[in-house]
Amino acid sequence: MKVKTPIPTLKQKLKRFFMVDLIHGLTLTLKYNLGALFEKDAVAGKAIYTEQYPKVRPDVAPRFHGAPRLNMDPETHDTLCIACNLCAIACPEDCIDVLAMDVEIIVAGKPRRKKVLDEFIFDTSRCMFCALCQEACPTSCLELTQDFELATYSRAGFVWNREMLEQGREKVKYTS
Amino acid sequence: MLLLGPINLINDLLLKFFSADTVNYVLWPLIQIGIVVTLVALWVAYATYLERKISAFMQARLGPMRVGPWGLLQPIADGIKLLVKEDFIPDKADRWIFFFAPYIAVASAFIVFSVVPFGPDWAVIADVNIGLLLVLAVSSVGVLALILAGWSSNSKYALLGGLRSSAQMVSYEVAMGLSLIGALMFARTLSLSGIVAAQGADSIWYIVYQPVGFLLFLISGIAENNRAPFDLPEAESELVAGFHTEYSGMRWSLFFMAEYAAMVVVSAVGATVYLGGWYFPFVYRLETAGHHNLYVIVSLLVFLIKASIILYIYFWLRWTLPRFRYDQLMDVGWKWLIPSALINITLSAFSIFIVQALDGWKSIHTIERLDNGLNLTASGKGIMIVSGLIGLILTGLLLSRINWRSRDFNLRTQRRNIRLVNLPKGKPAVPAPSSGG
Repeated sequence: MKVKTPIPTLKQKLKRFFMVDLIHGLTLTLKYNLGALFEKDAVAGKAIYTEQYPKVRPDVAPRFHGAPRLNMDPETHDTLCIACNLCAIACPEDCIDVLAMDVEIIVAGKPRRKKVLDEFIFDTSRCMFCALCQEACPTSCLELTQDFELATYSRAGFVWNREMLEQGREKVKYTS
Repeated sequence: MLLLGPINLINDLLLKFFSADTVNYVLWPLIQIGIVVTLVALWVAYATYLERKISAFMQARLGPMRVGPWGLLQPIADGIKLLVKEDFIPDKADRWIFFFAPYIAVASAFIVFSVVPFGPDWAVIADVNIGLLLVLAVSSVGVLALILAGWSSNSKYALLGGLRSSAQMVSYEVAMGLSLIGALMFARTLSLSGIVAAQGADSIWYIVYQPVGFLLFLISGIAENNRAPFDLPEAESELVAGFHTEYSGMRWSLFFMAEYAAMVVVSAVGATVYLGGWYFPFVYRLETAGHHNLYVIVSLLVFLIKASIILYIYFWLRWTLPRFRYDQLMDVGWKWLIPSALINITLSAFSIFIVQALDGWKSIHTIERLDNGLNLTASGKGIMIVSGLIGLILTGLLLSRINWRSRDFNLRTQRRNIRLVNLPKGKPAVPAPSSGG
């Protein structure tokens, strides 16, 4: 039985003889090599895409939601939280606990009782970073920051208390 | 030359204690050997670094960056890691052969450097008149190490890898030797320093006369070193790691070093024979100006740059081309490289004959001198360059005509053999029993 094999055209023959595809491949790799040495912009050209991660932290997307933070008044360093519990109500995962206490203050010469924040528990292991709490907060105290390094060594480490939320966690700085 | 004063000082100091012959033929060569071994080991180590960097750049990565600035200490860290690793010997291995195979590999790669001219005058250890022959002979001993390693490991993958690499290296050795003959016809000597001197006297690089020879040397050199795209012995997708499957720790790193040293050897020899070695136009003016040691050092740098260019081609090809199939590899070796090497010899001999016949005919002057290689005049050079280019095209045409669809032919017979069963298409070989009966 005769088997038909396709006969190459003259163009294909010439391409094969002058090894056009081989040269094309070689120029491509050479271009990338030179691009890595001389070009600056990886996205536009053929330069390096690698991020030096722990040394250089990448810029995340502007709408990214990461680690929570309780903002403070920049002048008095008092918390902005008024213990209204709106964030805990808004949270679909029930991961926020706001514990308030009453304190006595003098307003216009009369003793008054005021509700202030005692402790703020935020369980990041259950959080899905929807930022509904951030939307609900009337004083823009609770905020989800762009920090994305949330891993810890134990499950208990995922539960952040007020101090952690206000100060932020300690970041490891890497040099060289 | 204040910087190079110490060399003369050491020479004077040695002459106080030993006779002139001892100093010239024993002590200085020993010092040279020490320097060359150190530098080549360093070169080999940084060849691995460069390979990792270049491969990374070709894939838009960064490569090693952590150890030292830009990862420059990475090869040293790797070396220390390999040194302290466990040196494991398989239970059923042939212990002594298993011990010694890596040393043979390294020695055969390093001995070649004894005749490579790194530069003029004191930058060459030994200028033997059979230099190129010695290079080919010693570097082919490396095959022995691979066979021994593959055999003594007592492992099927190692044995298969050793067999493959020995078959490959033996068949490409032929093409490598034959491809060098064309250049030797111009140099009229086997001494590597002599070849460089001949190119200097002719003020041309033999790559211009011998494009076919250079290409053949490069391809067969890559294949001989078992590098991609000819890295079948180490094909990790088929054989675990080839002949060094069972090796670990320092012995494995010796094989690794031998591979890179062999690469450096081939690039050094290629640079010497085809790219003019340490010869570079106008550098000799330093010599005539009286800066002898500076001249040697500049020539040395020129040689290193030329060899590094060939080394770069190695990396470039490795990270561009996919691996050959085994039959394709043998195809390239026996059907393309060896015939084209033979054609190259014939053509260059013919063109040299024409140049010699034309010399002195009707006041045409082609040959200048013959005592230091074949030195041609401008017209002779023109003839040679044109004949070299014609040879490149002619060799390609001739071989593609001869090998025209040779692989397709094989496939066709194979297909016919399969079809000889003569079954109608689309039906099972055994007819299924009818459901009703």
